[in-house]
Amino acid sequence: MPLKILVLGGTGYIGPHLVEHALAKGHTVTLFNRGRTKPGLFPTAEQIVGDRNAPDGHAALRGRKWDVVYDLPATNPKWVVGSTEALKGNVPQYVYVSSTAAYKDFARSYPDETHPEQEMAPIEPTTPPAQYGPSKVRNEHTVRDALGNGATIVRPGLIVGPGDLTDRFTYWPWRIEKGGEILAPGRIEDPAQWIDVRDLTEWMVRLGENTTGGTFNAVGPRTVCGIGELLYGIKACYSNDAHFTWVPQAFLTERKLRSWGEMPVWSYTGASTVAFSTSVIEKAKAAGLTFRPLATTVRDGMAWYHSRPAAEQEKLRAGITLERERDVLALWKAANGTK
Amino acid sequence: MTVAPLRLLILGGTGFIGPHQVQYALDRGHKVTLFNRGQTNPKLFPGVEKLIGDRNKPDGYAALKGRTWDAVIDNPTQVPRWVREAGAALAGSTSRYVFVSTLSTFRNRREIGITEDGPLHEPAPSDAVPSGAAYQAAYPGAPVSTYGPLKVRSEMDARASFGEKALIVRPGLIVGPGDLTDRFSYWPVRIEQGGEVLAPGSPHDYVGFIDARDLTEWMIRLCEQGASGTYNAVGPKHGMTTAEMLYGIKAVTPGNARFTWVDTDFVLERKLRPYAELPVWMPNRGDSAGWARMNITKAVTAGLTFRPLAETARATLAYYHAQPAERQASLRSGLSPEKERETLAAWHAKAR
Repeated sequence: MPLKILVLGGTGYIGPHLVEHALAKGHTVTLFNRGRTKPGLFPTAEQIVGDRNAPDGHAALRGRKWDVVYDLPATNPKWVVGSTEALKGNVPQYVYVSSTAAYKDFARSYPDETHPEQEMAPIEPTTPPAQYGPSKVRNEHTVRDALGNGATIVRPGLIVGPGDLTDRFTYWPWRIEKGGEILAPGRIEDPAQWIDVRDLTEWMVRLGENTTGGTFNAVGPRTVCGIGELLYGIKACYSNDAHFTWVPQAFLTERKLRSWGEMPVWSYTGASTVAFSTSVIEKAKAAGLTFRPLATTVRDGMAWYHSRPAAEQEKLRAGITLERERDVLALWKAANGTK
Repeated sequence: MTVAPLRLLILGGTGFIGPHQVQYALDRGHKVTLFNRGQTNPKLFPGVEKLIGDRNKPDGYAALKGRTWDAVIDNPTQVPRWVREAGAALAGSTSRYVFVSTLSTFRNRREIGITEDGPLHEPAPSDAVPSGAAYQAAYPGAPVSTYGPLKVRSEMDARASFGEKALIVRPGLIVGPGDLTDRFSYWPVRIEQGGEVLAPGSPHDYVGFIDARDLTEWMIRLCEQGASGTYNAVGPKHGMTTAEMLYGIKAVTPGNARFTWVDTDFVLERKLRPYAELPVWMPNRGDSAGWARMNITKAVTAGLTFRPLAETARATLAYYHAQPAERQASLRSGLSPEKERETLAAWHAKAR
């Protein structure tokens, strides 16, 4: 049965993947956004123009009916209050993209969906502005209150693959592609999680098709994964002289090389980011989340990366520079009496 | 690409590595002739000239008389007398004789970085043959020898017959699509099945192998370059550990495999056979301490290149899935599911 789908946003990173897949599955898609980013991206999709920041910015949605709405970009609580109010009674399912940042204590390993949440942000803007996590919690509650069993809350971890502008995953294939001695963080079994943007969005379309409600962590891979599995798996996609020097976490911490920041994807027990790398995903798997092979994510992600302007390719937005890596490796070897 | 087309005679050419060689040679514009009994895969390469002969028969090489070649590639030989007879039949009619030998010619692989000049097995007697009923029937009363010594004798005979025209390639474990032994294929197949996978030794133990396509493509290029001499031929170029190999293979599967490394002492105590039941891997100590750390500088300098592991794993799986169901169900290397389960249970019980 083809669905009538409304997508709020839809032109950023995950939006185009979701829309493309929904159209490929034969669904009818309506996009609602300001019409400024990538206009004309999907000529076969209906476009409704509206600005969620404007007073009564969701007015154009009133009186229309859809089977399911996907709210992709919303952090601002007023946006979600506005959209749920405008769509009330006309859309039985509301899929809201939240985040594992909704959890209270990121330093606790293995959060499942019952893990304590952050204090929710107020609806009205505050000074200083509310943070990302608390805003996401507020929005989850707004959606649940308005839709009940029709609320589908998806909490992704690190979303990676073609189109990712954060480079938080890309750093590793980028670095491994260059070859030579590579600084590898911690121990090969230290936890690592990510999700291919296509696995996430294709599953979200299935959640709509199956009218699946509830709250879901959404990250991969399928089984518990170490940073070594990630780095060795990426290396298998290349045939150069890339080799890894594993530097202990304490040494990295002293030199301000932090998990997720300077050393992307990586976490370790007790790290302030470990919840992002150890999320329990049994519920999502039971609800049909599937996973591409890592080599596919790497191949497609890097094909996209190499299509970016040269200046962007040279300056990644995550990880460390080659110079910094060389310096830290030299310090590590000096400290250990090896050359 | 502009290479002068060569006239290549390939002895055998229908087994595992032969078809890869033929395809690449054709792609490079060479003129290929196959010489074999015409029994294995006779429909392969319909456009390629085929000469029929049986190397176990007297006058088996008659079909080659009066022809000349730029290079002859001898793929399947482990019978020294075949090499001598090839010498008698072809020494005057080819500019190059390429003999596919093996790293098993080395007496042991105890040292790290063994070069082509490392110590070899004592050669088998000149009239020796491999074990097996077919050889006994063809050569009644001939002494039986083993693979390494037979290949050492064959190399000597190749050099004696062809001198400077002899090009001897010593591959390690040859893997990839078309492999009938499953000595590498076990891992992609097992990992694709998922679940708890028994991994041998330590995650940091070295392993070595060479994709059949990397090997054969390089051999054709050596012929183009007019190379001679002896070459170790194994990969990967920069050393690979079991963790890199297994996680690298896993990266092409969507499976849920996870690895339990069972250490070398335990593996040997349980009498699991390295290389056969635990494919690719050899204990990184004793006579096999340098098994996977051969010196391959000479081959790399002469143009040997290596595909990414992901490509080897993908192509191996594609080949495997194209086989008939019975073939897929009976892998010829690796642990049976029962033995893997029992061993893992014993290992976990010991760790408790």
